[in-house]
Amino acid sequence: MSAKRSVRGSLANYLLALIAIFSLNFVLPRMMPGDPLQAIYGQEALVAMTPQMEAALIQKFSLDQPWSSQLYAYISGLFEGDLGYSYYFRDQVSAVILGALPWTLILTGSALILATSLGIVLGMESGYRRGGSLDRGLIAGLIFISGFPDFFVGIVLLLIFGVSLGIAPLYGSITPYSGETGLAYLLDILHHLALPLASLVLVQLGAVYLLTRNTMVVVLKERFVLTARAKGCTDRAVRYRHAGRNSLLPVITATGIRLPQLITGALFIEIVFSYPGVGLLLSTALDARDYPLIQGILLLVTVAVLTANCGVDLLYRRLDPRVRHAR
Amino acid sequence: MHVDLLGAVLRDPLGMTGSALLGLVTVMAILAPALSGYPPDLYTGQILSPPSAWHPLGTDSVGQDIWSRLLWGARTSLLVGAAVALISTSISVIIGTTTAIFGGLYERFWMRAVDAMLAIPPIIVMILVAAYLRPNLLVLILLLSALSWPGGARICRAQTLSLLERTHLSAAATFGAGWRHIIRRHILPDLTPIMLALTVGAARRAIFMEAGLSFLGVSDPTMVSWGKIMQQALQFTYLDVWRWWLVPTGLALSLTLVSLSLLGFALEGAMDPRLDGGQRHGDTRSSHA
Repeated sequence: MSAKRSVRGSLANYLLALIAIFSLNFVLPRMMPGDPLQAIYGQEALVAMTPQMEAALIQKFSLDQPWSSQLYAYISGLFEGDLGYSYYFRDQVSAVILGALPWTLILTGSALILATSLGIVLGMESGYRRGGSLDRGLIAGLIFISGFPDFFVGIVLLLIFGVSLGIAPLYGSITPYSGETGLAYLLDILHHLALPLASLVLVQLGAVYLLTRNTMVVVLKERFVLTARAKGCTDRAVRYRHAGRNSLLPVITATGIRLPQLITGALFIEIVFSYPGVGLLLSTALDARDYPLIQGILLLVTVAVLTANCGVDLLYRRLDPRVRHAR
Repeated sequence: MHVDLLGAVLRDPLGMTGSALLGLVTVMAILAPALSGYPPDLYTGQILSPPSAWHPLGTDSVGQDIWSRLLWGARTSLLVGAAVALISTSISVIIGTTTAIFGGLYERFWMRAVDAMLAIPPIIVMILVAAYLRPNLLVLILLLSALSWPGGARICRAQTLSLLERTHLSAAATFGAGWRHIIRRHILPDLTPIMLALTVGAARRAIFMEAGLSFLGVSDPTMVSWGKIMQQALQFTYLDVWRWWLVPTGLALSLTLVSLSLLGFALEGAMDPRLDGGQRHGDTRSSHA
């Protein structure tokens, strides 16, 4: 298969996946027994609705028309960026999500950076000292922790540092009504971020670490490492400049594979810490059966995951010429 | 290829720990009625009582015995894990082997479907569908199986393709063996180690996802589930009850999951003796939910 064709092939996969999610969003509420409007908007919303609003919504979704016009109304709505109206928050779904998004981005972004860099450094050190006590201790510990479900790691940290020791806040992203500005505000944000971030990093660390360590072990057997040693490179230079750099490539690919886990993990962690991001919003929407909001959030998460994977796919091809020619 | 897989797993320290833990949870699940004095849904008359001789882990906010809910929760988790593992591995093997043998449009259709399904995290589809359906145990098992097979199918297909290159398979085909015979007699035996690894992985993901969905509150409310117990208990962290309510339940879930990942590591190690101590983790798309 030529390189161009495989790029197009993987783009087609992402497009197919996206279409599948859109179809599910369209079909599910209409498959439910009873009034489709009720399934689209949820029972609670209908109670608050006036007959005029109901008529307007039926018109909007073309619910009195055949399904082909309904599909057309749905697609054209999506193209206008209209995700619907959240009855629980009494606002546009897109606006509600945008309000929560920054917190999730802070959390997942910093977790991605921290877990990746920490995992790479630990993995390189550990692989370099293969079989030593540091190596064996790290392997056992991280395999154990990465087996834990993310939300329980969050709960344990919350119970230890928040509930028992009382040194970390129990919920939220800032201290409400404190009116802090500048440095104090920043420190407050970091104080609230610490525990959710630590839980996410702990869960994510294992995969990066193991992959780097194992690649490192293999790379260290290569002959160019022997050459580097022979020409008198320092230990540090061999470890990082020669072996380390060449162990990075698989880690980058694996980052793309880890992103979905990172994002869905963040959803659960946010719920544990009541961190006001998209995950907590999803939990609220699920409890309130606010279906437009549920659909909007899951759509956003899917698009984020697909875009990230697609980006890593393309990046990987650039980084490693072998991939372009292989296949 | 034909190695003493189970023996290798049991000799491995990771594998031994994993099987011991899993065995413990299984015994707890099987003996649930004998080990607990109360049915899991019974209102005992005491609310949020601390551990006592009658209630080893106290009672929860609606007066149910936590110890017995913990035991019955093990039943739900293991049932979901085992059922999904069997169904999804079977689908993986069927799709994987037949696409490799038939090729053509049939293969392209399924592999395209596999690639597209692998692009979306299954937990997202599950949350979306569960938000509407509030699935009961059976529906949950079927949904999880339907989403869980693609990674395994790809692995089975690759393995079958390489097996088809072997001479004894061309010999069988020359003697006029049909595709069913080839799959059953020549391919399946060599796929056994992979099938075992897929089963363990699928069980782990299914147990994790069931707990996650229940933790989000989108599964059938009458199901006794560790995830749901944790969701309830998390609202009472300001009281001391988390010590015997939230922590034991979370530990039970975590140790079950850890036991399966340890088994998975041991299996991978036994299948490929070149690897030491859990290589290739995070290397396959199907390794985690």
